[in-house]
Formats: sequence, C-alpha cells, structure tokens
Amino acid sequence: MILLDHQNAVLRDTLKARFSTQKQELVNITLVDFDGVTYHVHTPDTDNLGILFVSMRLRCFSELQNYGATDLLRAEFGDTLQDKAEDGWDLTLKFDLSTSPGSEELLQKIANLKTIVLAAPFSRAFDQHDNETADPDLMTIHYRDEETIYVRAQSDRVTVIFSTVFREETDRIFGKVFLQEFVDARKQLALQNAPPVLHSREPPLELKHLPELAGVTEANGLHFITFVLFPRHFAPGPVRDSTIAQLQLFRDYLHYHIKCAKAHMHTRMRRRVAEFLKVLNRAKPERTDKEKKLASGRTFKRN
Amino acid sequence: MSRLAPIVMDNGTGYTKLGFAGNTEPQCIFPTVVATQSSSSSSTSSSSSAGIPSSVTSTGPASSTRFASSSYLHTKRGLEDLDFYIGDEALQHAKTYSVNYPVRHGQVENWDHMERLWAQSIFKHLRAEPEDHSFLLTEPPLNAPENREQTAEIFFETFNVPALYIAVQAVLALAAGWTSGKVNDRTLTGTVIDSGDGVTHVIPVADGYVIGSSIKHIPIAGRDLTQFVQQLLRDRGENAFPPEDSMDVARRIKEEYAYVCPDIVKEFKRYDQEGEKYFKTFEGKHSVTQQLYRVDVGYERFLAPEVFFNPEIASSDFLTPLPEVVDNVVQTSPIDTRRGLYKNIVLSGGSTMFKDFGKRLQRDIKRIVDARIRKSEELSGGLLKSKPMDVNVISHKTQRYAVWFGGSLLASLPDFGSYCHTKAEYEEHGPSICRHNRVFGSLG
Repeated sequence: MILLDHQNAVLRDTLKARFSTQKQELVNITLVDFDGVTYHVHTPDTDNLGILFVSMRLRCFSELQNYGATDLLRAEFGDTLQDKAEDGWDLTLKFDLSTSPGSEELLQKIANLKTIVLAAPFSRAFDQHDNETADPDLMTIHYRDEETIYVRAQSDRVTVIFSTVFREETDRIFGKVFLQEFVDARKQLALQNAPPVLHSREPPLELKHLPELAGVTEANGLHFITFVLFPRHFAPGPVRDSTIAQLQLFRDYLHYHIKCAKAHMHTRMRRRVAEFLKVLNRAKPERTDKEKKLASGRTFKRN
Repeated sequence: MSRLAPIVMDNGTGYTKLGFAGNTEPQCIFPTVVATQSSSSSSTSSSSSAGIPSSVTSTGPASSTRFASSSYLHTKRGLEDLDFYIGDEALQHAKTYSVNYPVRHGQVENWDHMERLWAQSIFKHLRAEPEDHSFLLTEPPLNAPENREQTAEIFFETFNVPALYIAVQAVLALAAGWTSGKVNDRTLTGTVIDSGDGVTHVIPVADGYVIGSSIKHIPIAGRDLTQFVQQLLRDRGENAFPPEDSMDVARRIKEEYAYVCPDIVKEFKRYDQEGEKYFKTFEGKHSVTQQLYRVDVGYERFLAPEVFFNPEIASSDFLTPLPEVVDNVVQTSPIDTRRGLYKNIVLSGGSTMFKDFGKRLQRDIKRIVDARIRKSEELSGGLLKSKPMDVNVISHKTQRYAVWFGGSLLASLPDFGSYCHTKAEYEEHGPSICRHNRVFGSLG
C-alpha cells in the first residue's frame, strides 16, 4: 500500500505466464519501468518459439557499466547474458525454454533486473568503504534527463546524493514538505537509527567542484537530498540489498507520495465545496408567491 | 523521455484494463475497486479518514479528542493519504476496509476514489512515472462532457501528464476490428456490439462519431447467462459442487464449454442421439476441503448463449432477440450510414467470445435484412431492384479486450501525439478543451 515494490510485477507476471505453460506462442511485448527503463520481451525465432529474449534499455547504462554493472549481471544471470545486446537495446538476456524451463528463482531475478543493474555504483561504493580504498571516486549516474544520483564512499560513511527538480508549482511545495519530513524523521524516537538526510537547494560541498554543477544556485530549481549511510546501513547481506533497492526507489516513492497527497487534498477540497454549496442552498430565499404542488397534483398558494 | 510508450487505460465498471501502447494485451487487469479506511471504524479515525481539514472542524466530539491527544497527529502523519488498496488487494482487505466501486454503469461516480485508484494503478501496478508518458483513456458513449473535464483536471493537475486523449470505447472497438482478416479498409463506421458482464450495448458509429440517438442497451449480458446456467444446473439436480461455489462453477462451465448452435431443435436431437459426443464433465476442486467433484455439462452448452437470440428462455421482461435489436439500431440511424453500419458489425467484450457467435448473428441479421428487401421489391411490383445488402459480423482474436487493444493500436500510431491535448493547451484554456476530442483520421 505505502511502499513500492522493487520488483517489476508486470514483467514477472508476463514471464510467469511464459514459464508456466508448455504451449509456446509468439510474444512481443514492450514494458516500461520507472526512470525511463524499457523492457522488450520477445521470441525472435518463429521456428523455435522456446527461445526468449529479454532486453532492457536505460538511459545511464554506459555509466553503470563503468561501475561494474556487467559483472553484477554476469554473476546473477551467467551465460544467459548476451555479449552483444540487440540493436537499440543496452543488454539482452536469452533463455531457451525448450531445453531448460524457467524456475521461480530465475523469475524473481529477472523481475529485479533494474534493481540489479542500478545496484552497481552502490555496491561499488560499499565495497570501496569496506576495503578502505584510498581516494574513492565520486560516481555520477544521470538516470533521468534532469536528475542525477551521486555516490561516494568516505572513510567512515557512504554518501548518496540525489539531485531532483519539480516542474510543477504544486509539486514543488509538496516536495519541500516531504523532503523536510525526511530530514526530520530522525527526531522520532523509533527512527533513531535511520540514516541522516540533508536537504539543500545549492550543491552540497561534496559536489561543489563538479563542472556540471558550477554556478548552480537556488534559482535553478534543483533540490539536493543527501543520504549519509553508516556501516550499519550497508552491512553485507540482506541489509545491504534492501538499502540499495530502497535508495533506487527514493525518487519514485517521493513522487508517488506527492501524487497521493494531492489526491487527498482534492478529496478534502471537494468535500469542502460540497459543504459550502449546502450552506449556499440553505441561504436561498424562498419565494412565497409561487404556487406549491402537493403529491396528489393539487396546487395551492401560501399566503 | 518522450519516446516512452503511451499508457492506455480502460476503466470499466467491472475491470480496469491498463498497459502500454503497442502491445496486444493489457498488462494489468484488476477489478475496479478501492478499499479505503472505513469511516465508521472508530471515532478518532473517522474524522481523519473523512478528510475534513483539521483547522476547520471546530465541532463534534471526534475532533476534540483529536486535539486533546497531541501525539495523535504525529502517529498519523503521512499515512492517511496512502492508506488504501485497489484491485484484488482491495478485495482481500474487504474485512477491515470499506470497499468502494468508483465506476457505475461505465461512468465514474466517485472522483475521490477514482483519483486514488489511478494514482496507485499507475505507480504501483504499472510502475510508470505519469509525467513521462502520454495517456489514452476511454469513456462510455454519451458520457457527460463534465465528466471528461473532471478527468482531464485530475490527469493534468494531479499527475502532470504531458498529453491526454479521451477516446470513446465504441470507436476503439471499431479500430480493434481492423486486425481481422475480413476488413480491408480502415474505416471508423460500423456497429459495435459490446457485451460485458453487466449490460450489452449496441452502438452505431459513423466516421468516428457515435450516433447517440440510436444507441440501444440490452439488459442481458455475461452475468445473466451465468445465472441462467446456474438455474439449469439447479433444475437438473446437479449437486456435486458446494452451493457457495455454484455461481463460479456456472461461470466456468459457460466460459469453457458454451458455444452457439445454428439450430436449437436440431441441436437437441443431436444431443439425444449421440450424447457421449456432446455431453461433457466439468471437474472442480472444493475451495476448502480440496476435494474433487464432477459436474455433468449438457444442454446448457448451447442454451446459454442462445439467450441472446431467444431471450424468452431466460428472461420474462426483455424479449427482443439481439439480431433484431441490431437491425433496429441500424434502421433508426441516418439513411446514408446504414450500408456502412451493416457492413461492419464489430464484436467486443467477453460475452461475445462464444464459438460461432459472430456467424449466427450474421446469419440472423442477414435474414431480417433480406426479408425486408424482398418485401419492398414485392410492394413495388417488381419495378424496383435493390442492390443486395452486405452484412458482415467481424470477430477477431483480441475481442475480449477489444477496447483496450483498439486504444493500444491508435496510441501507437505515429501521429497520436498530434491528436492529444497537451498540458500547455490545458494550462492556456482550462479543462474545457477536453469537451472535444479529435477523431482519428479526421482533418478537423
């Protein structure tokens, strides 16, 4: 209800239908995920319908490759990952269902494809921190046209910075409130262990030196949200995986929340209008000289 | 990111179909249901879920307790606007939440719930960012323009969609018919027979515009057929299945075994002579005890869809057969459109999926039309000879989700963008721009 799932349920269900039936038919489906990620599921060979291609395209794939996305994919998918992706796509997985039927485990992995690919810079930063790499680099991921994620490992923490922009006036206001909530979350007793969040309108110190952000001020409409992750937030194992998955969905979660909040506001506004209309209708003066009608159809005049 | 596929959304009374344009089937199909915090669960939550702004509620015990406990707002913070379920999840939470059906008779009744349904279906089910996609929505024929404005307002204001098109369902169903091998010209003239679960519509469309005055509704649709099958089973004394599942069993028998026969009398004879070929057995599983049961399936195989053609076998208040209704609809339409309407009769919706449904319909309509032509030729004393009338009923593979598929087809056309209302236009002129949607293929 509140949290977004980090799996792509549509992709999972599409493939599940393919995996669970023996009947093989032609498939050609294009799907979309958050942040402009596109999937293409199809059977290229009309003679052998068991061969299934799952391709994916995302804006920042070349950057992710630099941070080791291919190795992560290789580790998860092994030989199914094709060396050369299909034309116009960034990566392609090939399955031959006639020789090896798909398993539930494989299904889960494919549904997590986007999470796996985007995990590259995060895992790299966490590893750099764990190995105490000297002078870790600042990784930038231009995952949307105007928005970027920056990840950097430091000696005692890993910093993840999102730059985001709200195009709508209303969204900007809601966004500001929500971002403030994120910053204040740690004040609640139950959330003492949450990573500190900072929100600023100007590039934070970590990014000041970047040429692409030179001269960016409040007027540019950019918001910078900094998550400071301490080792307890990325302890290897399930904690690390869930941290990565949740960070990736931060922007989508924020926007989902903004839209729902707007819907909630609209509900209240409609209710208010209905109340006011009632008041207005009550205030209408009744005309006494008008003929009134009884249920039987007889009319009479009040005097 | 503008090259991302448009999203096609068809919010029906029963089910919502949504997915990305360019595909042949919708990606998500779920009941159009929203479960919200029930408003009478407790006094404190009632004031919050009712959505009254706290600053203006000054009376009532609910609000005073709310202010008395200062931690209340704090614990509630950020939850009430996201605290709802949609679709199948909503039905699962029916015990603790109140379940609402925001669409009634094809039209949106409750905008508050609809807005929530849209929000969650886009973000959670489709995983799409509405700001990156254009949208194609559907509306029933004769939808009030105010509803269309309201829809546009929500999509442009709440979701900030870049472009929006609201299409009439019947027109989309016609467009879906283009994929059938029978059709060689892509016209938007034809008669649409849309039969879902609740009601069947017969809608004439000329050049992409619905002829509103000639639309006919038939109160016979999927659910009535199911009830009829259920009745037949009960009358015959089939009781192998648990009584609470009888509706479901009837529905599945209808979906799996029913077909349309050319002649009901001959069909009865055939069943009586070589029964073993026609009688089937339905196997089901008890939902609680997991025990298998068997139900014999007999005459209901062809009697169920026969209700469309001879309604008197099931209903006592609606007695006009479907072919006659279709003929009436065409006859009340403008005379210059009639040939086109007969030529292109398109089926849409789950209840038209019976085997040979289209064939039988075509034959029956053809009979009515031919009889009429013969009569008029006789009356003229052999002086008038009319050109024979083409009657074509088109069935195709994507019939079940024809409306959605038609939408997907149109939205993937290269010039789809030029038919949409853009956000800039909306901001310039306001929601009234959506009172008119340009018809595909038109110049205006």
